[in-house]
Amino acid sequence: MASKVSRDTLYEGVNGLLDASAKKKRGFLETVELQIGLKNYDPQKDKRFSGTVKLKHIPRPKMKVCILGDQQHCDEAKANNVEFMDAEALKKLNKNKKLVKKLAKSYDAFLASESLIKQIPRLLGPGLNKAGKFPALLSHQESMIGKIEEVKSTIKFQMKKVLCLSVAVGHVGMKPDELAQNVNLSINFLVSLLKKNWQNVRSLHVKSSMGPPQRLY
Amino acid sequence: MVRPNNNQLPENLPQLQNLIKRDPESYSDEFHIQYQHFLSLLEVFALNPGEENKSLDDIVMFIAQVAQCYPAVCEEFPKRLSDLLKNYATVLDPAMRNCFVKALILLRNKNLVPALDILELFFQLLRCPDKNLRTFLQTHIVTDIKNMNAKHKDMKLNSSLQAFMYSMLKDANPKAAKMSADIMIELYKKNIWNDAKTVNVIATVGCFSKVTKVLVTSLKFFLGHDEEEEESDSDSENEVDLKGALMANRVNKKTKKRQKQLAQIKKQAVKAQKKKKNAPAFNFSGIHLVHNPQGMAEGLFKQLQGSNERFEVKLMHLDVISRLIGIHELFLFGFYPYITRFLQPHQRQVTRVLQFAAQASHELVPGDIIEPILKTIANNFITERNSSDVMAIGLNATREICMRCPLAMGEDLLQDLAMYKTYKEKSVMMAARSLITLYREQLPALLHKKDRGRQTEAQAERKVRAYGEREVHDTVLGAEALLKDSKTIDIESDGDTDSNDGEWVNVTHSDNEGGADTDEDEDEEEEDEEEDDEEDDEGNSEEEEEEEEDSNADEGVGSGEEADKTKKQKADLKILNQKEAAQELALTRIFTDEDFKRINAANLKKTVTSARKRPLEQDRAEFVKLNSIEMIYKKRKHDKESRLETVQAGRKDRERFGWKDGRVNENCSKTNREKRKNKNFGMLRHKARSKVKKSFKDKQQALRKHLLHQKKMK
Repeated sequence: MASKVSRDTLYEGVNGLLDASAKKKRGFLETVELQIGLKNYDPQKDKRFSGTVKLKHIPRPKMKVCILGDQQHCDEAKANNVEFMDAEALKKLNKNKKLVKKLAKSYDAFLASESLIKQIPRLLGPGLNKAGKFPALLSHQESMIGKIEEVKSTIKFQMKKVLCLSVAVGHVGMKPDELAQNVNLSINFLVSLLKKNWQNVRSLHVKSSMGPPQRLY
Repeated sequence: MVRPNNNQLPENLPQLQNLIKRDPESYSDEFHIQYQHFLSLLEVFALNPGEENKSLDDIVMFIAQVAQCYPAVCEEFPKRLSDLLKNYATVLDPAMRNCFVKALILLRNKNLVPALDILELFFQLLRCPDKNLRTFLQTHIVTDIKNMNAKHKDMKLNSSLQAFMYSMLKDANPKAAKMSADIMIELYKKNIWNDAKTVNVIATVGCFSKVTKVLVTSLKFFLGHDEEEEESDSDSENEVDLKGALMANRVNKKTKKRQKQLAQIKKQAVKAQKKKKNAPAFNFSGIHLVHNPQGMAEGLFKQLQGSNERFEVKLMHLDVISRLIGIHELFLFGFYPYITRFLQPHQRQVTRVLQFAAQASHELVPGDIIEPILKTIANNFITERNSSDVMAIGLNATREICMRCPLAMGEDLLQDLAMYKTYKEKSVMMAARSLITLYREQLPALLHKKDRGRQTEAQAERKVRAYGEREVHDTVLGAEALLKDSKTIDIESDGDTDSNDGEWVNVTHSDNEGGADTDEDEDEEEEDEEEDDEEDDEGNSEEEEEEEEDSNADEGVGSGEEADKTKKQKADLKILNQKEAAQELALTRIFTDEDFKRINAANLKKTVTSARKRPLEQDRAEFVKLNSIEMIYKKRKHDKESRLETVQAGRKDRERFGWKDGRVNENCSKTNREKRKNKNFGMLRHKARSKVKKSFKDKQQALRKHLLHQKKMK
């Protein structure tokens, strides 16, 4: 059986997208996102799926990550020039909703060390969780930089209320090959999450932030 | 035609109405007369609004019926009616009021009155103590809004109507507020006002209403009680139709006409199904649409703590809060100690309380917050002084909670609970075992070593997640399967073959289908075979070890131990290579449906490769089914059918047993003994008595009596 999206259409789409963005340079680095339309899925009855996958190339290099760490991690973060907060600083927020919200707003993701992560709900209250930025776990065995890279290159598929979703899979500064690899992996992963795999896919588009959408499927 | 000398039109309104509808222009004079008549009647009526006036009733209905023919004349008509209703709402005679309302609705259906004005008026009318009127109004409002949205949605009108409804929800009059809540909920369910705005108004206003009835309807809305019912109705409609038709055709005489009909029905059923597939109703449970779940949950919890409502209402609060917490993964730490108070075996509706406890637990709740709940359940339910049902329910609830939040369980507690696996009552035993299987999947380290069981491949691959850790995949799970030949599927279809003869099957199939897959080259095939060896290695069959050694011998490694070591290293390398290759595959090409079939088959295979017959049901739905807590295993060893079956099987090859009393010939008469069984006891009493042996004492007495008697005789 032939593949649903042939190699040619994929490259056509990716190249078209890159050309369009090259023609009209924007004042920022455009993000490339994958938009998916689903079918034969009843979000009320069927189970909502969600999954995270680590892409090969970092889709959003400018993501800001903050370390909520114990002493050792804070030192390491300082050495690596990564922004960090320790338990004391968190306690100072004092569950103040506005401050927590501000903290959540100012970073894209958080990492917390093992000893601290269990206290996060108590220290900060629901603020971080509300913003969907509950910290990920950073253990002492892993290297901090590696973990940050991993967080940056991780994307999450989650269907919520509607039959469409979109995820950032790259940016226009990437090479077509890299972009195609990311798109490949994310499509594969997404389709593997679906109940009836390709039978649940209505459409696939790739699109840069300001450019026209390119249909893949 | 009407004769001029016998003109009865002024009295005969229905006929006039008929004529006007046919030809409005020629009868305009008559209409004008009637209208004037109406005005004068109205004035008279206004003097004494409390009494019934039949003629006014008739004429109002008449004018309402024909109003569309003379829009200019009747411009004032609706206003007059509504003024009347507004001013004398409660004073009016119920029949008259009904009539005016009906007239207004008629006008509204002809679009002669704007919707908003009429809505306002109707909400005012709710103050009347007239239940029929209220239900009538409610159905009218719902159908009216439905009709307005039937063709296309007028956003402006809708939003103004919605705004009005929202203001009514805050209304001091409980009936108005209740009705507005009812209307909104009904419209939401009918997919007309299914936007987030409606849901959020119900969430922010309805759920915090001071009026209990409004509160309860709003809470019920979030519990989504009757959604499924509706759907099953629409589902069954055409299916039942089809089935009935098929049946009728089988029974009835077969004619061409009937066959044609049947074909048509079939076609329609297919069409209906297609229609359903093309336009699925995107009807979400309201909970997902709530903008501020955290605030709502906190507010509801506060209200619950302060409230003095009936227990049922409190339960509803708990239910909604727990659903909110579970679905949106909220932090509401006060909730858990609160619910712990209700965890007593004799508490009313305790299974539902347990259900809420399970619903409210999710992965992001720190374990030490849920742990007290588990402790309480263990202390109050799972003790031997309780009945076995209570124990089983407690174990089931524990399992449901732990399924959502595995880190909450402590090692000691789990091992204690696991000991019930050999309990004498089956229900308890089953519940305990299900808990063990859950932890075999999730956190085998917590179990006692002998309870951990043999790991399946899938379990071995699964990493234990610490608190807050997320599962991040590098590639599609199980994509390694694509590196192999397509034979994996065949093995799967063979059923549960042991790994030992699985090897044998492998070989034959790869022979058959060697050329099937073009993507792999020979290198990979080799790899594949060796890897099969690894798989089987776990099974510890000697055969494979021999083979392994053979392959190592090819590489020229001498001593056994070294061979073992290198083998291990090689295996590790292979797994790594495989992972990388799979990742590469996912990066370079898009998998087809067939690929996914293979991946799924391989994933399934992983869950059974070491002897587990059935993969554990891992369905973590959003809501906890009450059934999964209440379901305690209670099946007899034999149910009636299986018992009968064995009995029948035993009877097959033997003759019918003879008579109990030893008669061989059926035709001979019964013995006396047999007959005696059916006789009246009165007839047999003396005989029955004589049969009993006399006691020693009786004999002595009888003897003495006899001797005395003889003495006297002398």
